[in-house]
Amino acid sequence: MKKIDKKEKAVVIIGSGAGGGTMAYELTRAGIPCVCLEAGPFHKKEDYVNDEWGAFLQMAWLDARTTSGDWRVAKDFSGLPTWLCKAVGGTTTHWAGATPRFMDYEFKTKSTYGNLKGANLLDWPVTLKDMEPYYTRAEDAIGSTHRGGRAALPANNNYKVFAEGAKRVGYKFYATGPYGTNAEPYDGRPGSVQDGFNFQGDKNGSKWSTAKREIPRALETGLLDLRTHSHVTKITHNKEGLVDGVIYRDVDGNEQRQAAQVVIVSGNSIESPRLLLLSESSMFPNGLANSSGEVGRNYMRHLTGSMYARFEKPVKMWRGETMAGFCADEVKHNPKRGFVGGYYMETLALGPAFLSSFLDPGAWGREFTDMMDGYENIAGMWIVGEDMPQSNNRVTLNTDVKDQYGNPVPNVHFDEHKNDIAMRNYAYEKAEKLYESVGAIQTWRTPPYPSTHNLGTNRMSAKSKDGVVNKWGRSHDIKNLYIADGSVMTTGAAANPTLTITALSIRFSENVISQLKKGNI
Amino acid sequence: MIIIIIEGGDMSISRRSFVFGSVAASVFISLWDINPSKAEVKVGDNAEDKKLIIKMVRDVYPHDRFPEAPYERTANDVITKGNADSAKKTMLSEGIENLKKANYGKLNFKKSTKYLKKIENSGFFQHVRSTSVVTLYNDQEVWGLLGYEGSSFEKGGYINRGFNDLDWLPDPRIEEHPDLAAFLKADPNRLAAIEDMIKLN
Repeated sequence: MKKIDKKEKAVVIIGSGAGGGTMAYELTRAGIPCVCLEAGPFHKKEDYVNDEWGAFLQMAWLDARTTSGDWRVAKDFSGLPTWLCKAVGGTTTHWAGATPRFMDYEFKTKSTYGNLKGANLLDWPVTLKDMEPYYTRAEDAIGSTHRGGRAALPANNNYKVFAEGAKRVGYKFYATGPYGTNAEPYDGRPGSVQDGFNFQGDKNGSKWSTAKREIPRALETGLLDLRTHSHVTKITHNKEGLVDGVIYRDVDGNEQRQAAQVVIVSGNSIESPRLLLLSESSMFPNGLANSSGEVGRNYMRHLTGSMYARFEKPVKMWRGETMAGFCADEVKHNPKRGFVGGYYMETLALGPAFLSSFLDPGAWGREFTDMMDGYENIAGMWIVGEDMPQSNNRVTLNTDVKDQYGNPVPNVHFDEHKNDIAMRNYAYEKAEKLYESVGAIQTWRTPPYPSTHNLGTNRMSAKSKDGVVNKWGRSHDIKNLYIADGSVMTTGAAANPTLTITALSIRFSENVISQLKKGNI
Repeated sequence: MIIIIIEGGDMSISRRSFVFGSVAASVFISLWDINPSKAEVKVGDNAEDKKLIIKMVRDVYPHDRFPEAPYERTANDVITKGNADSAKKTMLSEGIENLKKANYGKLNFKKSTKYLKKIENSGFFQHVRSTSVVTLYNDQEVWGLLGYEGSSFEKGGYINRGFNDLDWLPDPRIEEHPDLAAFLKADPNRLAAIEDMIKLN
């Protein structure tokens, strides 16, 4: 592996998930040496375990965090606002694989939805047309099923219930994808063996992740200096206001400094704004790249919720690809339903260990155990919809609580917008009807889990006063500071975000490459 | 919110506090092996108290078809974790005393539930419930009773072992509907009176 001297001004990428991993791959392929600092270890497929709690403890980002706001996560999982990963590959190691594109109007929600009280909507500085070639490249990288001539995954048991229910209530747009796990061998990865442990890393290596594809291939170029267990705590700058290095803790907890020519922040929507805020200085007293005051604001986590339904006959939802079931009928904006935006329905399965903890946190007694007792006969779906950006839903530094390095932890504040609540209640009712149409005898409205979709805390904007980065992921304030992860999303759309993060990162990398070649940064 | 301070144990970081929801906290302690055996287990570690805790776990998560063993293992975990530090010991000890005062051991299911409902906001109840929900449903015997098959990769997954064996519904279409692309592309209707319709204040 390449070794880059710590004093050499390098292209430094912080994080190795969908954003950072993609950046490392694109830049090294273009001949640019990079240092990639990843806070977690490098798990290989043989390291993963088919065990929900075991995998959670192996992969999840468990550093101290705090929560506030009226969301139920703050009550039930007060120290665990998100379910993100600390590992090479970031949360692509845990993601399920749903890869819908945004729709055209989802890049311009302010123009489409109008002014909505309490919602800080803004049109993106990019359009679907701008994104289409990058979406195609991202789908080809991921190997999305149903796209590029790639085969659909077969119907598993959970999907059979879901699809037949969808059909009976009059929905048309259901399918087993698009999905980022191979149905058939593709790009060096085998077809799925349907082991049911997709969230736990995928021991078979059929699922795309940047730990599986982009990082190993970037290492093969001989241009990537990947440093695992390297947790960045501060980005430094020179007196011209350009970033010039990063401070990080190595595997032994010792402080190190890497000099930097360019810094690309890809730490996800919690850690990226936190790092910018932690990097405050006399020149930038509100944190780096924060002249707009928007760093950390407009935190979105998607409208989510789940519906579990118990039947008289066995389903065995845990068998097979976890999220290979998709229904788009409710995704289009149609305010006659009583809310703006829309949502997807996607199959979801949990084992008893997780279902018991997440079905209805805190619940106990006979009604709860009746549901659990019928575990074999349960089918499940996830509801994923657009939630509203709100200025006060934000990541801030909580100076009362310190992490293992003595730095303030991120506090994640989230209040639900009325639109979010209206959409979720509508979606629950529809999901109940869907399952009742195929004979459900008990249904359960499961509240949102700790967030896996974390978006919008360094949002992209045409004008510097409205956001943190421009349409190339480059910060409005500091020309050699880029951000490439879900935090740049201006609004959240209904689509699962990984495809869009990957496509945006491919697009941003072109700008980094051209600016470096021109000597502008 | 429960704040757990973990001291010692096998973690490379030996002193560290986690602020977690109660569910995750109890998982931490059991799976990261903070080695509770080193702690002096005293509170609740006798047949009489254990019997009460076993009954309570069963009343909180009643499954008539479950045998005693998984409830007993769960009760042991409740007791062990209730001895993790002096504050927990006090909580556990007071909780057990209150059960005795209420003659809980003799209450039928209905009366037990009524009693538990009364104490459900107490630290003791929350300790028993949050430990039990993780330990009981992470118990391999319980998995078997519920029909869950656990780890599958070493058996080749389910590709040849019934991932699609549901036979009480017809086989569905797996390809996308031919109209999907046009549906996603279509402009949504924008209604002028949108704010009224959404009734945001």
